[in-house]
This record gives sequence, structure tokens and C-alpha cells, in this order.
Amino acid sequence: MLHNNYTVLVVEDIPLVRMGAVDLLVCAGFQAPEADSADEAIRILESRPDIQLVFTDAGLPGAMDGVTLSHYIRSRWPAMKLIVASGQANVQESRLPAGARFFAKPYDVDTVMQTMTGMLSETNSGHNRH
Amino acid sequence: MNSNTPPPDIEAASTLAVIGSSNEPLLFLAADFTIIAASASFCGAFQIDPASVCGRPLADLGAGEWAAPQLDSLLKATASGAVQIEAYEIKLVRKDHATRNLLLHARKLEDGDGDRVRLLLAITDITLIRAEARQKDDLIREKAVLLQEVQHRVANSLQIIASILLQSARSVQSGEARGHLRDAHHRVMSIAAVQRHLAMSTLGDVALRPYFTQLCESLAASMIEDPERLTIAVSVDDSAVTANASVGLGLITTELVINALKHAFPDQRKGTIAVDYRTTGKAWALRVRDNGVGMPTGENKVKPGLGTGIVEALARQLHGRIHLADAQPGTEFKLVHDQMDDGDGLALAAL
Repeated sequence: MLHNNYTVLVVEDIPLVRMGAVDLLVCAGFQAPEADSADEAIRILESRPDIQLVFTDAGLPGAMDGVTLSHYIRSRWPAMKLIVASGQANVQESRLPAGARFFAKPYDVDTVMQTMTGMLSETNSGHNRH
Repeated sequence: MNSNTPPPDIEAASTLAVIGSSNEPLLFLAADFTIIAASASFCGAFQIDPASVCGRPLADLGAGEWAAPQLDSLLKATASGAVQIEAYEIKLVRKDHATRNLLLHARKLEDGDGDRVRLLLAITDITLIRAEARQKDDLIREKAVLLQEVQHRVANSLQIIASILLQSARSVQSGEARGHLRDAHHRVMSIAAVQRHLAMSTLGDVALRPYFTQLCESLAASMIEDPERLTIAVSVDDSAVTANASVGLGLITTELVINALKHAFPDQRKGTIAVDYRTTGKAWALRVRDNGVGMPTGENKVKPGLGTGIVEALARQLHGRIHLADAQPGTEFKLVHDQMDDGDGLALAAL
């Protein structure tokens, strides 16, 4: 099943992990732009209004980590769907913006895909940003 | 009054001798905080000339370092009888010496002479103890940071391995190879689940119920296409085992569940796989039972594969015995460890 109309931004600083996530999304037919830091993610979000969901790592290098990034995105792009993954199992979903989902690494890609498509189809009816 | 009675402000020689020979630095003070006697240990520890001590105000000792306002108010409170000071901590600051952390015990002398106040001040140098405690705190903090870093790295490494296995599974042409790669992915994920539960536990033990529940949920999510048709039911008591043991039990369960999902329910057959773990005293049993078609025999017998090898090796390590039975319908696998198997009970630590 291909979802050609979905665009998900992958934010992850470890290249091989990012590659795995992007590959997963591309195989599912998604557009998957990628960023290795919060700054780059914000730049891409500013230029790509087609992005509907951000899939970010919690432990990003630099001034803004993934949890902070998720709050920033929520305040600037309130409709954006958010998924945060972390190698620290104890990140609580309560620390994330409302509605954001958390996955401990290593995440099961099938579960992540199910969650992602579920979140994306919620918005797709009334709120398509194409 | 007998003429041999000493004048009231002269202390008995024995009292002075006891104070002088105290192992713990000790000061014997008059009501105005002049020193009646000091132990040799006090003079030695704080570089005071023993000959100059008696009759001097405490505040004049050394270069005046004992004139601290904190100490003065502490002694005043003690002299008034308002409080008895137990373990009061001050810093002794001296020129040309490192600052010392001192622990003070001050008390009014109770010798029946109510008119004449005298104080006993015991001084313990805890500089080293404090420094060690600080160092220990630093080490514990460093260890926590390091552990977090390690967990993070392990999680990312496992993520890379899992991703590569799945990418390979997607790209190979052969269905058999794809199946093997997906199985390898499940094995990695079940080890990762232990890692995660271990990261959240404080004692280094893994509680089996949440671990097995999560493990089976993850296996179901990735292997069961129709949750209406096939389910995995987990029933585990409050057992907690070592990390090593939990890896073994988790991998065995992974293999058995994968195996049942692949072979027990052909032709869209409906069914349940029940995973059960119980501890009774020193004995324990892991049971994985399906209500599928049962083990094929004769011609159709499934050749033992990598999964069988993994299960047998882990069962040996866990000091457990495997029992396979026809559950009518389906198959029951039991891994049992009882008191007869070895002397030291749960022996899972022996892994």
C-alpha cells in the first residue's frame, strides 16, 4: 500500500539510523525529507508546507533537543503531527506536546508505521495541506 | 569545710589528666571560654603549642582562628543550658592551612557544681570524610551519566541493526531469505526489549510480566496481520529475574511464538498462543501453548532449524528441562526448572 500524498520529515543525527527511517518511509511511498539537527529541521519546515508529520529523535546535538523541537514546532505549526523517538526509555509522553507520540529505541518499524499512518489519516480528510 | 578541700576554681588533677590524654581532640572551657585544659591530641591536630594553652581565651588560640562567631554563639547556647550541641559542623579557616571541616560536640559539665559552669568541647576533623563523600557523589553522578550514554548508544546500535535487517528483508528476492531476515529482526527486537526494561529497573532485575507483555505485543504487531484471527495471551506472575536470565527467557519465548505463528495456524485457521510463566519457591516453569494443528509427524516433520538450536542452548543455560506435548489441540512447550535440577534455586544468575 503506497501513500504517495504523505510527507514526513525525519530528524535524526545518527546517519545510519536516519537512513533506516527514511528508507522505511520511502518504501511505504512517503516523501521523506531529512534533517540532522533542530535548526535544519526548522529551515526545512519553513520551505516545505507539504510536511504533515515530524519524526524526530529526542537526543539531538546543539542548542535544541528533539523534545524542545517538538514543542517549538507545536507552537509554530499547531497542526503538525509529532512522533519522538529516544534511546532513553524513560522519556515520558507527558513531557511532549499534547497528541505527540513517543517510541523507545530501537522502535519496531511496523508499529511506528501503523501509528504514523493512523495519525496521518486522521488529518487527511479535513486538513490536507497540498 | 576541711582545709584540704581544693579552692572551688581548681580542677582535680585527675580531671585534667583525663582531658589531656583524650584521643579525640578535646577542650575543657571555663564559663568565659578560657581554656582550663586541652588534650594533647587537640594541640597536635591543630598545631597549637601545648605550653601556651592553659588560661588563654579560646578566641586567642593560634592566630585567632577559633574566634569564629558561629563557635562563640554555639558555646554561649551550651553554657546557658538551653541546648546540648550534638554534631554541629563548622569550617576552621587558617592562614597557610587548608580549611578543615570540623564536627563539634559541646556539653555543659554535669558534676553537681551548679554555680560554676564549665564546658567540654569535642572536635572531630571530618575533612577527609566530607571529601570522600563528595567524591562518591561525583562518582555516582558520573556513573549515572555514563550509564545513560551507554543505554543511548546501545539503543541506537540496535536500531541500526534492526533497520538494516528489515531493509535487507525488503530487498531480497527469495521468500525464504526474507523470512530468515525478518526472524533475525524479531530476535534483535526481543533483546532490545530486555535492554529497555533493564534501563528502567533500579535493582538490575527485570520484572517478567511487563517484559513478556511488551515482547508479545511487539511480536504480534509485526507478525500478525489479522488480530481477529490470531492472538497472543500473556499470563505471568510477579517474578523478576536477572538481566541475563530474562534475555534467555525472552529469546526462547520469541522463538516459540514465531514458530507457532508460522506453523500452527495454516489456511487462515483461528487461534491463540498462550505464554505463561510461574515461580513456586525455587522452581519455575515457562509454558508456551498454542491451539493450532499440532506438530506434524512422519513425512511432514519440520526439520530442526536455527530456532530449535537457540531454544535448546538457552534451556541448558537456564538449567531447565524441555517438555514437548500434544496439547490436543495444538502443541505445548514447557521449560521447567525444579529443585531437583540444581541446588541453588533460581540459578538464573548462573547464565
